[in-house]
Parts: sequence; C-alpha cells; structure tokens
Amino acid sequence: MLNPLRRHRTWWIAAALLVILSLVLAACQPAAPAPEAQPAEGQGEAAPAAAETGGKEPVVLKFLKLNDPVEAIAFAKIEEEFRKIDGGKWSYVSIEYDTVAFRDLFPKIETSVAAGVELDLIQADGPDMKHYAWNKVLIPLDEYFTEEEKAAFAPQSIEEGSYKGVFYGPPFMQSCSLMWYNRDFTDAAGIQPPKNLDDSWTMEEALDAWQKTTVDNDGDGTPDVWGIRWGQGTWTGDYEHGIFRRSNGEKGSPTYMGMAPDGVTFQGYFDTPEAIEAMQFYQDMHLKYKVTPVEPIPNIFQSKKAAFVVFPDNIIGDINNQYPDGGFNLEVTGIPYFKTQLCHTGSWHYGISANTKHFDEALAFVKFASSKEGSRIYYEALRQLPARLDLLNELPEYNEYPQKLVKEGFQKFGIPRIQTPGYTEYQQVFAEVAQNIASGADPAEQMKEGAIRIEQAVAKYKGWNE
Amino acid sequence: MSVVPKSSRGPSWWTYMRRSKTRTYIISALFILPALINFAIFRYVPILWAARASTWQYSLLGGYREWIGMEHYLRALQDPILHKSLRVTFTYVLVKMPLEMVLALALALFTNQVRKGMGTMRTIIFTPVVMSMVVVSVIWALIFNADSGLLNAFLRMIGLPKQIFLTNPKLALPSIITTAIWKDVGFSTILIVAGLKGIPGQFYEAAIVDGANRWQLFRHVTLPLLRRTLFFVVVTQTIFSFQVFIPVYSMTRGGPLDATKVIVYYIYQLGFLFQDMGYAAAVSMILLVIILIISLIQIRFLRSEVEY
Repeated sequence: MLNPLRRHRTWWIAAALLVILSLVLAACQPAAPAPEAQPAEGQGEAAPAAAETGGKEPVVLKFLKLNDPVEAIAFAKIEEEFRKIDGGKWSYVSIEYDTVAFRDLFPKIETSVAAGVELDLIQADGPDMKHYAWNKVLIPLDEYFTEEEKAAFAPQSIEEGSYKGVFYGPPFMQSCSLMWYNRDFTDAAGIQPPKNLDDSWTMEEALDAWQKTTVDNDGDGTPDVWGIRWGQGTWTGDYEHGIFRRSNGEKGSPTYMGMAPDGVTFQGYFDTPEAIEAMQFYQDMHLKYKVTPVEPIPNIFQSKKAAFVVFPDNIIGDINNQYPDGGFNLEVTGIPYFKTQLCHTGSWHYGISANTKHFDEALAFVKFASSKEGSRIYYEALRQLPARLDLLNELPEYNEYPQKLVKEGFQKFGIPRIQTPGYTEYQQVFAEVAQNIASGADPAEQMKEGAIRIEQAVAKYKGWNE
Repeated sequence: MSVVPKSSRGPSWWTYMRRSKTRTYIISALFILPALINFAIFRYVPILWAARASTWQYSLLGGYREWIGMEHYLRALQDPILHKSLRVTFTYVLVKMPLEMVLALALALFTNQVRKGMGTMRTIIFTPVVMSMVVVSVIWALIFNADSGLLNAFLRMIGLPKQIFLTNPKLALPSIITTAIWKDVGFSTILIVAGLKGIPGQFYEAAIVDGANRWQLFRHVTLPLLRRTLFFVVVTQTIFSFQVFIPVYSMTRGGPLDATKVIVYYIYQLGFLFQDMGYAAAVSMILLVIILIISLIQIRFLRSEVEY
C-alpha cells in the first residue's frame, strides 16, 4: 500500500500535468477576437468605446504594411482624420498595424493569406498588384472608384494598380529615380552636371563624370570616394538596375519593352544584343572602370562616400534627417541613358484583402487615405512624389529645382516596370543575374540563361491577360 | 437479456488505475504527453502536410490547384539548380563539421582545465551562441566587405592584397562557413565540456599510475569516454548544418553564381519567391530523407560501445 504522502504527491503531479495539458490545448484553440482598442506602438488613437460611437461596436482593421517609422506617423495622422470625416461616421474604426521589412513583405502577405489570417488591408508594391489580383487575394475596387476619381491618379499608378483593366487598389505615393549628387565632389572634380532633363548625360558622359569623381586619396587601391552608387539599399533589384537593359532599346523595341505583351515570354526581350551590351557596361562600371563598389556599401552616398547616386526623391528627406543643420550640398541631374531615357515608376497601393470581414470600413479608409486630403498628410510626413496629380500640381516645391526635375522626369519618361503576375519571379532571377554580372560572370550567358529561367518560373501564368 | 454479474465484468477503471504498475505507466505517459502533443502538432503534422503538398501544384496564395503525383520528384531529378544546391550544401557540411568539431574539442580541452579565468573563457566562447544569427550575419557581412571591411583593412595593414569575399564564387562559401563556425562552435564546446566533466577521475588516475602520458590519456581515456557526447554533437550539428539558411539569406542571397545557394535557401526561393510551394515541399522531403539517411549512418558508426 502506498503511503499517504506519496499518494498525495502522485495526485499533485497528475493534477499539474492536467493543467499543463489544458494550457497546451488552450494554446491550440483558434485565436480569440482581437482585443479592442489596444493600439500597438506607432498606432493611431485607440478605438473609442461603443458609447462614444453612436452605439456601434468598435472595429479594428488589420493593416499589413512596411516597417517605416516616418510612414507610421503619417498613418497615425491619416487614421485620426479619417475618424473625423462624415461627422464622425467612422469613429468606431481603428487600425492595427503589422509591419515588416521590405524584403519580408511579399512572403508575409503570402503566409498570412495561406494561414487564413484575418487581414483587412495590405500595402502592395505596384508591380505585385497583378500577382495578388491573379491569386484573388485582393477585392477589385473598380466599381467603388468613378472614372473621375481614377483620373486624379497618375496613369502609371492606374496601370500598376489594375489587372486586366480592372482597378484593384489606389496608390498612395509614386517615385521616379534620378541621379542625385554631392556638389562638393563635383565641384572638386570641375564637373557641372546639367540641371535640366533635356541635357541629361548619356551613360558614356556619365561614366566620364563618375571616373573623375572616383578618388583614392591614400593610393591603397580602394577609393575614398566612389563615383556612383546605382540604386537604393544594397540589392540589385529591378527598380533601378533593370533600367540599364531597357534604356538601351528604342521606344517600342523588344529591349525597351523588356518582356513580350503576353507577360510570360522573355527570350527575345530580356536577352537581346542591346540588353546584353547594356549589362556589359554595367559590369564594366564595377570591374573595369571601378567607379562603383562590387559589394554595395550601406548608405554610401548619405555618408559622403559616393559622389552620385540613382535614387527617388525621398533622398531629400534622408539627407535632411542625417544633416539637419545642412552640410550636404545635394543636387540632382537627369538619369543617364543609352538610347532612351527612362525611370521606373514605383507606386505603393492600398489593397483590401479578400479575407476582410469589414469591407465597408476598409473601403472607407482606403478612399479617405487615397483622397487628396489623405495623400497630402502622407506627403507632408514623407515628402515623396504624390501619386495624385491634383495634389502634385498644387505643391509649389515641385515647380522648383530640384523637385521640379523629379516631377518632369516622372511625367516625361517614367514607365511602370514590366506588368505581369510573375513579377516577383522575374525580379528574383533578374537580381541574381545582375549580381552575377557585377561579380564578373559573362553577361551574354547570364542574360540568355536568365531569360530561360524566368520563362520557366512564370509559365504558370500563361494566358493570364487573354 | 442476460445480466452479467458485477464480479465477472473484470476490474473497474479505478481498480485498474490503482494497480501500481499501470499507474506508473499512466503517470509516465502524462509526463511525456505535452512533448508528444508539441511534436505532433509542430513537427509530424507539418511533415505529413509537406508530403501531401509535394504531390500537388500548390502555392501559398493560389492554394492546391492540381494533383500531379510524383511529377515534382521527377522534376527534381532533372533540376540543375537543385543538383548544384545539393553540392553546395554537402560542401558546406563536409567542410564546416570537421573544422567545427576539431575547434570545439580543442577549446573544450583548453577551457576544461582547472585554471583561473576558464569560466570567463567559456562565457566568451559561448556568447556568439546566444546572439541572433541575423545580427551575426550582418556584422560578418560588414567585416567581409571588399572595400570597407575590417578583414581587408587588416590584410592591407600586413601588406596583403585586398580580397573580395562575398561576391567571389570561390570565397563566398568559405566566408559563410567561417561565420557559421564562429556562431556555432561555442555550443559544441559547451556540450563537450559537459562530457569531459562527466568522465570519472579514477580512469585518469589509473592510466597515470600505468604511466600514460598526456597524449595517451587523451587518446585512450578521453576520446573513448567522450564518444557518446561527440556522437550527440556530431549528429545534431550535422542536422543543423544541413538546415543552414540565415547567413546565406542575409549575406549573399545564394550568390554569386549560385555558389552559396544551399538547399534550404533554394527551398525558400521556390516556395516564397517563385510561388512553387508544391515543388518546394518535394525538395524539402528529399532533404528530410537525406538527413535521415546521414543520421542513421552516423548513429551506426559513432555509437559508443563504452559504458561507464
């Protein structure tokens, strides 16, 4: 017979195990409804109590977006103003933000959708809109925007935000990369970059300037100042690096188009002799002329280690933040080109998730946030090219240098990146091809193999636009 | 209707429970139940789902489109990038594992000495283990940077030419291996130190009485009695090494020229960037089989025959 003490202990152990088991099972239960009015960091005001909202139960919209502290300030303000419109009709709505880094946004959207996460709003990159539409991740918003409302947005944004002619989401900003420079370095090299787009440098002329501004003061073989950093960040993405190959084609040519109209054919477009020639130049910039580092250096331009940079106009905010007391002579010139000058436009869009259970509230928020008033709030925080033409035309700074050039460039030669549901697959292969070429791989071989790989990866979308 | 006498129904569940042996089994089962549930939900069920997904045209956004049977596995046989990523992964494991084991053993023997400061030394060696792999990768990427990196500054200081590490197909993988060893060696070291401390002192005393020198002590006492620990470290670290992902994702993105495209990174690309989760699941199943086979081989050859 067990002694009473041991029996007691056994029961205690069994009880403890049952508690643990219950906790494990409880943890496996579906998530409880989202707590109401519990804003996370960077979130707007908490949702008001039901009593303050005319008896309506508070609604929390879940918004999956990029992690950007400045943008968080803008959205907090937009949300605050949204709750005031229409006599406080939407005062019961608040937003809960789930923010991720740029490179994680696409996979996060995928996993959230696959896991059936209750998601209302998505921040979608322009080139990915067709992919989301093809997969029915977004609700089409065509019928909720009149032709007049759509006409207020830049045509490039309408193209990026549409799938087979159906509008899926309004934009909240645009971009067009030009070539910015540190005037201290160009002055020291005796160079005066053109200040109007008609006189923009060709790639050869720009190369001369990059060579003159690449300076190795101590003669150790590593420049103290590099001539150029082509692109934001450290990746070889299509937004900026894809400009090379398209720029070496005449308007309307396969090289310029970059992809066949069917959206899945790349051989004969991606790997043309002109595209290969452009990528040979791209390699030479890194390895022959050594005007740009093979391994990108973070913030190379902002830290005064490069004379020129190809960047959208948010570089102005970057420099102002890093040099609040001045001390950086930032100026801009046209983006260099081979045969055709171009910049890739890049709008970010609001998308309403097909999983939403609060469509009316999500739509109301999207309409307000993309309105002139909402876009103005966003612009005032981020100072990046608005996607609304009515707002853009009202901003006096876009009539003056340097932003005047950004506006002109966007309107004159800004084109969307290739429009296909397979953009992510394309961009992944392109980035690898560009990195390999910069590292010394044969451009012709890389471009031809790349075209085949892209076609294999996007074959599943065949017939998407028929 | 016949009535079964109560006595002939067999023992009640309560009587059954009260039997000492049965109770012990049930209590034991309750102890391992949470772990079993955890394994079932977070390990085995996903493996089964991955096996199922590998027979479908499946993407995260598009869902299950068409059942295609073994088509993904046949595609894997002809996929040159998969074959290259397997070569890269095996190279990574075959270079990293021996280097890490030798280094860990040396560090463990060194820090196991009864000397002042050895505790601090062990802490220093273990510190990288508790650091985030993402942070470690970012720091090492900066160290390896061709133009502004610490390593090249050092090479220049001692009169050697600058090296391009992360964008040179010949040096990119060794750079990743260096980073991974720096991060992981502390974990192996601590386990081996624990194994060393578990060896009873009388074996050494007996060997010393028999006239053994330091090498003989190590060769004939330490190594055989450490075999069980080494077996554990080798098997677990091999499995972890086959699953390397973060340094590749953070430092090279599989490049240049696929020189660092390890298999898990390739699976990530297929599933999350190429919208081909079905094929990614098939490649994952192939990786699972490879790891299982290698682990079984290791278990067969490294099993300790010494008990103490």
